[in-house]
Amino acid sequence: MASVTELMRALPEPAEDQAGEVVAPHGVPAAGFPATWSLRPVAVGWFRRLRVLGTLQAKIGAAYLFHWLRGWFKDADENKRLLAETHWRTAVRVLDSMTYLRGAVMKAGQMLAAFPDIAPRQFVETLEQLYFRAPPMHWSLIEELVFRELGDDPDNLFAAFDKKAFAAASLGQVHRARLKSGQEVAVKIQYPGIARTIRADIRNLLLFLTPARLSRDWDNTKDQLDDLRMRLERETDYEQEAAMITRMRALFGEDDGIIIPRVIPELSTSRVLTMERAPGVHLQQFLAGNPSQEVRDAFACKIVVAWYRMMYAGRVIYGDMHPGNFLFMDDGRLGVIDFGFMIELDDTLWSLMEGVDRAITTGSYDERIACLKAWNWIGDDPAEQDRLRLAERFVDWQWRSRSDARAFDFGDEADFRRGVDLFVEMVRKRYSRSRPCAPAITRQFFGLRSLLYQLRAKLDMARIAEKEVRAAGWDRSDFARRAEGEA
Amino acid sequence: MRVTAETKTATRQRILEVAQERFAAQGFEATTTRDIAGAARIAVGTLFNYFPTKEAIVESLVGEAYAAAAAKFAKAMDHPVHAAPRSLEEELFAHVAAILRKVNPYRKYLPAVLETALSPLATVADGDAAALRAAHLETVGSIVTRHGRQEALSTVALQMYWTLFTGVLAFWAKDASPRQEDTLALLDQSLAMFVGWLTGQGDTSQGDTSTNPSSGG
Ligand SMILES: Nc1ncnc2c1ncn2[C@@H]1O[C@H](COP(=O)(O)OP(=O)(O)OP(=O)(O)O)[C@@H](O)[C@H]1O
Ligand SMILES: [Mg+2]
Repeated sequence: MASVTELMRALPEPAEDQAGEVVAPHGVPAAGFPATWSLRPVAVGWFRRLRVLGTLQAKIGAAYLFHWLRGWFKDADENKRLLAETHWRTAVRVLDSMTYLRGAVMKAGQMLAAFPDIAPRQFVETLEQLYFRAPPMHWSLIEELVFRELGDDPDNLFAAFDKKAFAAASLGQVHRARLKSGQEVAVKIQYPGIARTIRADIRNLLLFLTPARLSRDWDNTKDQLDDLRMRLERETDYEQEAAMITRMRALFGEDDGIIIPRVIPELSTSRVLTMERAPGVHLQQFLAGNPSQEVRDAFACKIVVAWYRMMYAGRVIYGDMHPGNFLFMDDGRLGVIDFGFMIELDDTLWSLMEGVDRAITTGSYDERIACLKAWNWIGDDPAEQDRLRLAERFVDWQWRSRSDARAFDFGDEADFRRGVDLFVEMVRKRYSRSRPCAPAITRQFFGLRSLLYQLRAKLDMARIAEKEVRAAGWDRSDFARRAEGEA
Repeated sequence: MRVTAETKTATRQRILEVAQERFAAQGFEATTTRDIAGAARIAVGTLFNYFPTKEAIVESLVGEAYAAAAAKFAKAMDHPVHAAPRSLEEELFAHVAAILRKVNPYRKYLPAVLETALSPLATVADGDAAALRAAHLETVGSIVTRHGRQEALSTVALQMYWTLFTGVLAFWAKDASPRQEDTLALLDQSLAMFVGWLTGQGDTSQGDTSTNPSSGG
C-alpha cells in the first residue's frame, strides 16, 4: 500500500508560487474563472487550519488521479508529457480552489489509498461520501434567497417555515415548511451562485485534465468525463429535477408502496425546489432499529422495483443510488427522493440494454460476449483478449444476482468483495473504454449493491424483473425463440 | 415671487423623479443635467441650486431609498419575531440585505456615488453621504452591542466593515450574475469573515485559536 509520502511525490509540483493566476490554454478566456472565490471562508481561528488540512488531503486525492492519468502518457513523447504535466499542475490549483469538492476528492483519495486491500465496507462508505458540500446558510440568507427566487418573503408565502435546515443537500440545504393549504413540504434551496461556480470549475478542470489526443482509449476517457460533466451540470438545475420527479411519479401507483413526493411548481425555480414532505427515516436509522430479515427484504424489494420500473417503463436509470435518497416509513412504504442524477436511455442505449437483458434472460454465453463487445467496443484483436476476459468476469459477477434462480444473498461480503476486486483490477489495467455513460452506470450499480449489502437483503431478482418487464408491456418473445434455437 | 419651503420640497422631489426616469431610460452616463432640467420644466441654473452635480442627484436618490430601508429594518428588528433568534452575522446580513432591496432600482448608478461620497477614502464630514455612513455604522454598532461584542468595536473595526460593505456595493453595481446571486455569496462570505475577525480579535482569553485543535467546528 502506498504511503502518503509516496503519494505526495507522485503529484506534479503544486507550484504554490504561481497560485492565483491561472493560465488558460488553447486561447480559452480565463475570465470569470480564477475569480470564482472559494465558497465561504470559515471564521478566522479554525479557518487557517482547515485550509491546510483540506489542501493536503485534496492533493493526496489529486496525486492518485494524476498517477492514473500519467499512465496514459507513458508512451507519449517527452514534449507531450511535459505539456500534460503543466496542465495538471494547473488542474491541481483549480481543484484546490474548489472547496465544495474537498470532501469528495479527499474521500476518493482515501479509497484509492486503500487499494488493493479495499473492503466492501470502505468501498460502500466512500461511495456514500462522494458528493459536493455546499456551505451552510443562515436564516437571513435563506430569507433573501426565497425573496429573490419566489418574489416574496417566506413568511408571506408559507404558513410556517423552519428557520433551521433539517437536512443538508449537496448544493444547499433543506427546510421544513407548511403551505397555506396545510400541506407539509420540504424546501430545497441552493447556495447562491454555486451552480454556476461548479459548472465553470468543472469545465475548467476537465479542460486542464484532457489536453492531448493520444489514443483511442484516451479519447474515450474524455468522452466519459464529458458525460459526467453534463450530468453534474444537470444536477444543479432544480427545474430539470422537478420535471423528472413529475415524470417518474406517474410510473407508480398507490399499491406499489413507493412514494415520490409531488413538486409544488408555483413555489419552485431552478434554485428552489418545494415538494411534499415524505415521512420516514434514512437507512442508518432504520437499521438501528434492528428490523427483521422480512422487513429488510420488503424494503429492498421496493428499491429494486423502483429501479426496474424507471428503467423498463420510464427508460431512465435512477443514477443516485445513495442512502440519503431513500426514506423508510413506519408503515412499510418507501420514499424515493432526489431525481437530479438520471441516466436517460436513448435508442442506442436502449438497444444495448436490450442486449443485456437478452444475455441475462437467455443465459447464453454468446449473447453475453456479443453484448460486452458492443458496450465496450471490443474487437477481435487478440490484444483485446484480456480486456474481454476481465469484462466477462465482471459481468458474470454483476449479473449473477439475477441469473441465480433462487433468492440472492446481497449481504454476502465475500461475494461483494469479488466484485470490488474485479472492478479495481479493471481500473488498474485502464480497461475503461466503454460508452460515455458507463461511469455513471457503474456508480449507480455499486450504489445499489451497497444499499442491498447494508440491508443484508435476500431477493429473487429474476422474479421482480420479470414482473416489471411484463408490467411495462415490453415484448421479449423473440428472446425466447433465440434461446430455443440455440438449445 | 417668494419660493416657499413647500415649493422647494416639491421641486426637489420632481427633479429626483424625472432624474430617475431619465437614468432608467437612457442610462446615467448619457443623461445630462440639461435633460433633467428640461424634463422637470426648470432652468438649468435652478437645477444647480438644488443639486450641484448629477452625482449629487444619485446620492440623494440612493440616500432616500437607503433611509427608508434603514427605518424599515430598525422597525423589523424591534419586532420580537425577527429580533430574537438572529446571530450577530445574521443580523448584519439582514441589515445589508434590507438596504440592497431598497436601493436596487439605483444599483447601476452606484459607481458614481461610490467613487466619491461612499468611498472608504471619503473624508468629507458633511452632506447626505456622510450622514448616511454615520447612520449605517451606528446601526452596525448597535447590532454588535446587542450581541455583547461592543468591546471589539474599534475605529479599525468600523473602517474594516465599511471597506467590506462598500466593496460589496461596488461588486453589486456591476454584478451580471442571475438575480445578482454572486453579490449575495460575496456578502455572506464578507460578513462571515468580518464576524470571524471581530469575534476572534475580541476574544483574547483563549489565545491563538488557530493552534487550538479543540476550537474547530
Ligand atoms: N420531499 C422530501 N421529504 C422529506 N425529506 C426530504 C425531501 N427532500 C429532501 N429531503 C431530505 O433532504 C435530504 C437532501 O435532499 P436531496 O437528496 O434531494 O438533496 P441533494 O441536493 O440531491 O443532496 P445529495 O446529493 O446529498 O443527495 C434528503 O436526504 C432528505 O433527508
Ligand atoms: Mg440526495
